[in-house]
Amino acid sequence: MRGVVGGLVEGASRTTIVDLEAGLEHLSRGTARHVETLLIVGEPYFKSLETARRSFALAKELGIGQIRMVANKVRTPRDEDSMREYATRHGLPIATVVPYDDAVVAADERGMALIEYGPSAPSVAAIRGLADDLLTSGGVPADPAGR
Amino acid sequence: MKVAIAGKGGAGKTTIAGTLARIIAERGQQVVAIDDDSNPNLALTVGVDRNAAATLDGIPRDMLVERTDADGTTRLVLAVPAEDFIDRYGVPVREGLTLLVMGGPNHGGSG
Repeated sequence: MRGVVGGLVEGASRTTIVDLEAGLEHLSRGTARHVETLLIVGEPYFKSLETARRSFALAKELGIGQIRMVANKVRTPRDEDSMREYATRHGLPIATVVPYDDAVVAADERGMALIEYGPSAPSVAAIRGLADDLLTSGGVPADPAGR
Repeated sequence: MKVAIAGKGGAGKTTIAGTLARIIAERGQQVVAIDDDSNPNLALTVGVDRNAAATLDGIPRDMLVERTDADGTTRLVLAVPAEDFIDRYGVPVREGLTLLVMGGPNHGGSG
């Protein structure tokens, strides 16, 4: 099936958003070659950031042009600072910071799509910002907060 | 636009992928959301019933063709144009958004 995903990403004329296997070990060169932007979702704890860093290195090796981290489940300014500090130290650009949001848990418990449960939830608002950046011809800025 | 989303299980990868797909479709683009995770959950986060989104484990073989790469490895590739494949096997979610679920735990393998 891997060749199929690569072929779909390559051949689709519509916008393509692929939810990959957890971890990048299974990402084939065939699929990677046609991906313009890879978003790596990380959480504010060390092991998650280490995983993100490894994925970043692998994705660079595979030749993906634009690779960004999405800093997810950020609860406190300290969370955000530590993620930014780690990202800066390892040259891993952050695309956007998505706050920890009870709406995500609540939607999941109800078996609902987050965007339907909480269309104006803080996490959804952050993802709207990410969508706007992606839709801008310049792509995702490395750090919209400008820090 | 071609975006892929990665992350450890539980990091929120699928929630972000599904929500992003919905928002970009709302902005007027034609979008296909592809679930390539072996534990497929994207259906829920784009807002379709999980059972409505059958996986593609059983794609008819005539949709695929075996290709041998220069290094001798073989892999299955699409035998039809990607857009035709998406129209035929995708699940319509809402205006402008289609979902494709590649498969369950046993998918993968070739290429």
